[in-house]
Amino acid sequence: MSPGRTFVEKVIDSHALDPADEGLYRRVRIDALLGHDATIALLVDEFERRNLKVWDPDRVIFTNDHFSPPATAERADISNKFLCFARAKKIRHLMMDRGICHQLLVESPLCRPGALIVGADSHTIMGGGVGACATGMGSTDILFALATGTTWMRKPPSIQIVFRGTLPTNCSGRDIILELLRLLGEAGAQYRALEFWDRAEPKLSQDDRFAISNMAVEIGGKFGVFVPDEVTRTYCANRGDVQPIDDVQPDPDAEYERTLEIDLSKLTPRVAKPWSPANVVPISEAPEVPLTVAFLGSCSSARLSDIREAAEEVAGKQISPNVRFVVIPASVQVFSDALRAGYVQTLTDAGAVFNQSSCGPCGGIDKGVLGATDVCISTSNRNFRGRMGHWESQTYLASARSVARAAVLGRLSPELYED
Amino acid sequence: MHVISGKAWVFGDNLNTDVIHPPEFFSLDPDRVRAGLFHKLDPQIQPNLEPGDVLVGGHNFGCGSSRETSMRSLKLNQIGAIVAIDFARIFFRNATNNGLPCLVFRNAADKERISAGDRLNLDIERAVLQLPDASEIALEPPGAFIRQIWEAGGLLSMLG
Repeated sequence: MSPGRTFVEKVIDSHALDPADEGLYRRVRIDALLGHDATIALLVDEFERRNLKVWDPDRVIFTNDHFSPPATAERADISNKFLCFARAKKIRHLMMDRGICHQLLVESPLCRPGALIVGADSHTIMGGGVGACATGMGSTDILFALATGTTWMRKPPSIQIVFRGTLPTNCSGRDIILELLRLLGEAGAQYRALEFWDRAEPKLSQDDRFAISNMAVEIGGKFGVFVPDEVTRTYCANRGDVQPIDDVQPDPDAEYERTLEIDLSKLTPRVAKPWSPANVVPISEAPEVPLTVAFLGSCSSARLSDIREAAEEVAGKQISPNVRFVVIPASVQVFSDALRAGYVQTLTDAGAVFNQSSCGPCGGIDKGVLGATDVCISTSNRNFRGRMGHWESQTYLASARSVARAAVLGRLSPELYED
Repeated sequence: MHVISGKAWVFGDNLNTDVIHPPEFFSLDPDRVRAGLFHKLDPQIQPNLEPGDVLVGGHNFGCGSSRETSMRSLKLNQIGAIVAIDFARIFFRNATNNGLPCLVFRNAADKERISAGDRLNLDIERAVLQLPDASEIALEPPGAFIRQIWEAGGLLSMLG
């Protein structure tokens, strides 16, 4: 009898074009494709030059999240090129100005447990939060997938991460993934899949799972997938999915390259110092650093629970006069929910500013980028040198709660949680 | 494939795509994309690149974003090949799909035998890197599937 298979092995096997092919690299069919203005614009000319057709416009989600709305004429041209292409190809889910593509993916029933999804951006991996094997690729790969509905893929070994215990109330999925980055490093899961087994009590929330899956790519992961369970099923039901879920589960005797048990009860808030998301310490051991910018945004966070936690922290208080606190909800749906819940009012009263749902300054592109002397605390996923703006600027990564606390205090401090 | 010949540019571990090609140089204009290569790390690198030059990296070369402008810039600057201890997954795919050979050392410690500016000869057939003193460094052969894509001239040539 052959050894048990991991979740990821089962998903790849079930998508193989030729099930008999046992080669290292295999052709697989995809269930959905995700793209945004910046990276899809790069393939438009080549796609047209080759006179290709989109394999299935109903399975494609496109949005303009990098330039939304565009700030320069050049970006407007890029955006228009992308939008014209999407309309001409009758892309069914063209979601103009609706938010960050990764958030729109997980808001869509196309992002199903057991699905195989590719996207033209590294954080596509976030689909793993609902049990999809989703992964980011470059424009050439995406062009090929868009035209054929297939891609080439190596079946990765998996690392099993088991969460146990109870997540402390001042921690979130962000602190969990930062801790995993501390433990595994920037290449700890290179060419590997991370399979998350949630045995926590209570189980992690769906938003926490998205935060964890999103940054699995920062550990080098190809997939960062939660084994589907009742949290997944509830999320899909609330999303309005009509199709029943394929209940793919890893075999009990699946072979994992290694297993990491994480006792969440022992976790404390974490921060990644410049210039690596793996340069992580407990906030209680962080340096005392005056801040000029706080950013609650990006696909890594900026979901409703993040905005709620930030609102809790700033309620009845004022943001430090030395700090610009920029909030960008991950999608218009999230923004709308936050409006209804009153969080936008609370944060605005405290001095935060809201921008249109988009990638914002996370990739150093849109409003809120950092100057040479800026020191930022951010809920985004990368604090690489120069990524958010000037080469001399500095970015610390933390949870939404920590970002909001630091914005009020005006500095990152080892005493951030001592009150 | 022919032998690739050029001078060595040596980098450390975890060289990410935001450093390889800063996002502010994201553009559809080839001149701007070409000029952005390593611009924030050291603006003197790009103007001094010559066709066929070889980048030498450590662990996790090309980690981070999937934006293919990083790859486009390397191609526009006519980088001949990249040799590293290992590569980040998306970067390796992008390079392979665009026909830019990425090879890894058989023995990671051999990276230290290469100095910046060394004239290197990379024999893809033999998976061997030759140093200026004619000594050789063994690389891992890329495997049949990867060579098939290189030989086709990139992934898109396989669309038929």
